[in-house]
Amino acid sequence: MSKRDILMEVENVSVTFDSGSSVVEAVKKCSLTVHAGEPIGIVGESGSGKSTLARVMAGLQTPSAGEIRFRGDNVFKGNKSFQSGNRNEVQMVFQDPYGSLNPQLNGLSAVAEAVRIHTKVGKDEAEHKALELLDRMGIGKLDALKQPRQLSGGQRQRVSVARALSANPTVLLADEPTSAIDQSAQAQLLKLFLGLLNDGLAIVLVSHDLGVIRYLTKRVYVMKDGVFVESGDTETVFNDPQEEYTKMLLASIPGELGKAARAKLKR
Amino acid sequence: MTSDVKLLDLSNVAIGIERRKRETLVLVREANFDVNYGEMVGIVGESGSGKTMVCRAIIGTLERRGASVIGGEVLFEGLDLRTINEAKWKTLRGKVIGYVPQSALAGPNPVLTIEKQLAEALSQVEGTGSMKNRSKELLDLVKIRRVDTVMKQYPYQLSGGMRQRVMIACALASKPKLLIADEPTTGLDVTVQSQIMELLREIRRDLGTAIILISHDLALVDEVCDKIVVMHAGATVEIGPTASMAKPRHPYTIALNSSRIDVAKPGGELLTIKGNPPSVGQWNPGCRFAERCDYKEQDCLVGDHPALSGKKGEHQSACLHTDKIGKI
Repeated sequence: MSKRDILMEVENVSVTFDSGSSVVEAVKKCSLTVHAGEPIGIVGESGSGKSTLARVMAGLQTPSAGEIRFRGDNVFKGNKSFQSGNRNEVQMVFQDPYGSLNPQLNGLSAVAEAVRIHTKVGKDEAEHKALELLDRMGIGKLDALKQPRQLSGGQRQRVSVARALSANPTVLLADEPTSAIDQSAQAQLLKLFLGLLNDGLAIVLVSHDLGVIRYLTKRVYVMKDGVFVESGDTETVFNDPQEEYTKMLLASIPGELGKAARAKLKR
Repeated sequence: MTSDVKLLDLSNVAIGIERRKRETLVLVREANFDVNYGEMVGIVGESGSGKTMVCRAIIGTLERRGASVIGGEVLFEGLDLRTINEAKWKTLRGKVIGYVPQSALAGPNPVLTIEKQLAEALSQVEGTGSMKNRSKELLDLVKIRRVDTVMKQYPYQLSGGMRQRVMIACALASKPKLLIADEPTTGLDVTVQSQIMELLREIRRDLGTAIILISHDLALVDEVCDKIVVMHAGATVEIGPTASMAKPRHPYTIALNSSRIDVAKPGGELLTIKGNPPSVGQWNPGCRFAERCDYKEQDCLVGDHPALSGKKGEHQSACLHTDKIGKI
């Protein structure tokens, strides 16, 4: 991939949380690169620091050390993030669709509000655009007018994605987007993500579900205790893991995927 | 006990919520399955398919939610659970039938130490030896290390996996014949999930406990259970031995199977089930999966929901056109 394709560079980023009595280093000197239109995955168990890293990449959390560049510009300057008008290009979808939508707003209003803020268009045009986005996410007009509580988990998550897309992002950070929804809703969402990738969006998928990572991403970073212990081509990492930790992680996947890894581990 | 009495036998169970001035809201109508002694049975289905409601019917806690069994039979060792009173329930619930609730993180009482928590469970059953030793034995049983430290700790000091182990330990206090685990690994890591599954398998092997595992993860159930029950919109649509279920016969199970991420080719086609499961109270006549089904014909849209065809105990499917599906 040529150099101008590089969208985002994360260089030696560390994040420390200081609670007064104890200091926790959640992310330790992590580096990664996101190219345009590329799907990459970050896997790890709870507490490995993967969500913290995603939040840093979205500009929601200041790193304690290291640098993040978006299109060559430093993302963090002083206590502000994304100064050069690139703010909209990096959008995040959160883990919990129940918590990330305003319970008072129906899907349409939630997305239309985001469209208005990001593109500064009038109300009617914003609603029109919002309906288009929702439709693309498989939410028809009837469902778009429902309150979040009337929607299923999968539908809510798709509304969240539509809202994130309203800013026309080039990078979508998805933090465990499928962990709170059913298998069939998960398949639906992944299908939509594939479509977004075809349209040239880069997706950073943070998950502990290795099946989802394998299905969607081309490159994967395995995170443990704040450090990337292994990274590389997703297919290579899955077929020929080098680190013990990765092997163990793969062996714990239920079903077909883990079977091969378990057999290898026994040998 | 004769050999043909099942540990648990549900036939055509219907569960509903009675409402004032309006007709009863039916949540489950055709729940059918049985559990043999020492068997591990998996129940899968989308959210809202009635999996948890059926479990509540088995442990008799439906009434607390304003719901009740309104039809069919729930037989536990031949005893009709619909006919027994609360006093009798107290001898079954938590004693002969153990229950591990869904939310591991919220499960244990936050203001009790693990020792007190276990003591509470143990105080309900007779046993020999000091409470402390019996609690320790339970924690050993669920493979918790550093038992002495853990006994003095509060739930917030434990990880999700540990808390779930404590909940399983509590459920095992009375050496139940049947253990119901309702989505025991939701929200836990894959590594922890595989440990919990291993634990359930060992419990079944060493104690001979029959286990009902509820999950929406087909791959998971596939791996640990002897028998799989598939539910859709309050009905059992397919049931069969795990090996035989690899070749599903009901369109819903087929669709569920093809949306499995672990068998899909990376980036390849992932079949999704059309539409959403029908909402409770808005069930159409005929087969409730028809709206989403690729094989639907005119006769699917009328009459009652199709009954399970085939012999009980073997692979059964509730579809009018099972033959057609086999041939495609």
